[in-house]
Amino acid sequence: MSTQTAEKNSLEQLSNGKKDKADKIDFKMVSFSLAGKEYGIDIMNVKEIAKAGNFTYVPNAAPFVRGVYNLRGDIISIIDLRTMFHLPAERKSDDALESLLILKIGEQAFGVIVDNIDKVIGVSKEGIQPPHPIFGDINIKYIKGIIENQNKLYIILNVEKLFAPKEEEKPGRTDLVKEASVKMPKIGLGGPADDALERSMDVNADFIKETLFSFRNFAVSKVNINWFNRRYNEWKAQRKPTDLQLRELAEADAFLEPFYSPFTGALWSAEYMSALGGIMPAIATKSINVWNPGCGKGYESYSLAVLLKKMYPEARAKIWANDSDLLAISMAPNMVFGAEGISQDHLDFMIKNRNGFVFNQAIRDSIYFEFHDVINNNPIPPADLILCRDTLSFLSAGNQTKLLTDFNEKSRQGCILILGKNEVMPLDNWRRIEGPSLSLYVKAD
Amino acid sequence: MRVEYINPFVESAFNVMKEVLQGDIKRGELYLKATSMPVMGVAAIVGLAGDVEGRVLFDMEKVTALRIASAMNGEELKSLDDLAKATITELANMITAQAVTKLHELGFRFDLTPPAIFTGDNMEISNQNVEALIVPMETGHGKVEINVAIRERA
Amino acid sequence: MKTKEDFPSINERKPEGLSPEGTPFRVLIVDDSMFVAKQIAQILGSEGYDVVGQAADGLQGLERYKELYPNVDLVTMDITMPNMDGITALQKIIEFDKNAKVIMISALGKQDLVKQALLTGAKNYIVKPLDRKKVLERISQVLKK
Repeated sequence: MSTQTAEKNSLEQLSNGKKDKADKIDFKMVSFSLAGKEYGIDIMNVKEIAKAGNFTYVPNAAPFVRGVYNLRGDIISIIDLRTMFHLPAERKSDDALESLLILKIGEQAFGVIVDNIDKVIGVSKEGIQPPHPIFGDINIKYIKGIIENQNKLYIILNVEKLFAPKEEEKPGRTDLVKEASVKMPKIGLGGPADDALERSMDVNADFIKETLFSFRNFAVSKVNINWFNRRYNEWKAQRKPTDLQLRELAEADAFLEPFYSPFTGALWSAEYMSALGGIMPAIATKSINVWNPGCGKGYESYSLAVLLKKMYPEARAKIWANDSDLLAISMAPNMVFGAEGISQDHLDFMIKNRNGFVFNQAIRDSIYFEFHDVINNNPIPPADLILCRDTLSFLSAGNQTKLLTDFNEKSRQGCILILGKNEVMPLDNWRRIEGPSLSLYVKAD
Repeated sequence: MRVEYINPFVESAFNVMKEVLQGDIKRGELYLKATSMPVMGVAAIVGLAGDVEGRVLFDMEKVTALRIASAMNGEELKSLDDLAKATITELANMITAQAVTKLHELGFRFDLTPPAIFTGDNMEISNQNVEALIVPMETGHGKVEINVAIRERA
Repeated sequence: MKTKEDFPSINERKPEGLSPEGTPFRVLIVDDSMFVAKQIAQILGSEGYDVVGQAADGLQGLERYKELYPNVDLVTMDITMPNMDGITALQKIIEFDKNAKVIMISALGKQDLVKQALLTGAKNYIVKPLDRKKVLERISQVLKK
């Protein structure tokens, strides 16, 4: 017995007393889950846990306010943490019971809806690590820290900051909901403090931006902010105020649907081709260098090759078409088409083999299809034309800037730039040329 | 890297390894990598010239290199001596040569430069941020990463 | 790699490495890859060939050939080597001894060079990776001529 104790002690000493620290429990939290991730809230803030449903809907409240609830005579507002953090949530019928944490912050009680309430966990304060940027789902300000417990990581929320009453406002019962909507803008961009409604819309917009990025890697920036604002207003007009958020991939796709340029994943129509040919400035050089980042399966690369061959039969065009989607681009060099739906412009440059129609050797030789990621180094000769539709918007803001800089550096004077129809070139040394469903620029002298 | 170049390298790596190692060879997911690359311990390099410029790098841990060299020599090699190094170099050479032959058949003109081998810990090959295609191969003797960087002569 | 051919079979056959007179054929291996040289030596040795010399580049190979001559029956010659490549060494060996029997060892992808070697006077070629059967077949073909 005594030997065992001695051994244990010496082992603990060997491990530099780390074990001592881990054994000390000086922080208790209630653990729960949101969208499959584990979270914790300081038990000092948790008054009780409950199951409840049939919340009373309150009009004009922020979308994460599910309503109010009568808890043994106290009217408390019910906040859906999943909506608030913009995490996917199973939609239950109105009378289904939700898992609630009743929180007490200062004098105020809130009901908070989570997916599942797990248990109370005791940990050591010293084991709590500061939030790492990787936990980007939730604004980092509202994370107290991260703790590991039995091989699980818990994100400890800072509920004081999350729900802190604004200054010394006295929360009268009827003001609860309004107050919640006033406070919420703390998540996301700050705004004028007095215009609660306006700010909660900003928050909605910010949430949508974040969701578009996490679902589809669509990053709102100067390239597409005009479109985004138009689309957001449209979206708002179509939807109930409580139903603005994009909860799943399908909704993100519905939001983005009008963004895409015509003839994505298809050969261009005769009309589109002549519209583009009609406004494109003349290219004087006999060897035309084209850069086509984000060419996808390569349809647009072929259509552009055909257009250039028609417009400049004497010139030698070389198209550097690339995409980082291996599956899409690997089919590009050997694409076979059925005859139906292909315009005569294309057919003129095709030959028939036993599988169907393929582009002739001259067209195929003019395109280099490359498996390449534009965020890496772009070894491209100076371009006379850049075709980059709906590609920039799907890079992070930082990478958009990098690629735009590359456009500037890797292009000749007078270079033509074709972006997606809802994208704009933010660099002001590029002059816009107006055209239907087209976003066309020329690099100015 | 041009799409047409990918399959010849993947196929010849698979075929040559299957032939000389006579084991179960599995190919991992292909991906792109940029900037300087840490090397696992042994790296054999074959240069490419002709219509293109580039190189193919065969990257593996020392223990994998020893096991592969032992299997190819039909005897257990105890250290990464000249024979073991020559064996790995030859493997790199055979794979690249077979890929280049396939590319010739497709009409691309590539030439090989003689292979070289590097060993050491914490090696890093800096290549002015050239993007490379990574073909991971699981050989039964350990993982070999084939790192192909080819670009057109502009 | 051990194969069952490394062990004597019940039906005795004459090892391929022996000439009709019963003396072993004498081979010079010219290859800059230690691995390939060893592989060839092992295959040939198991069939009774006598590896009388090895050289790591074309220049050494040429010198060794001159030293050994006329006591050498066959040369295996790699193509890509430092100092002097295999084609040049082949050319110089043929200049020295127009009846020299040289067989080229080539990696795939060197077809043009192989053709050039055959025109220069190489008797045959073997493409790597080398396997026992292929090596023995090609070499005995050359020696029978």
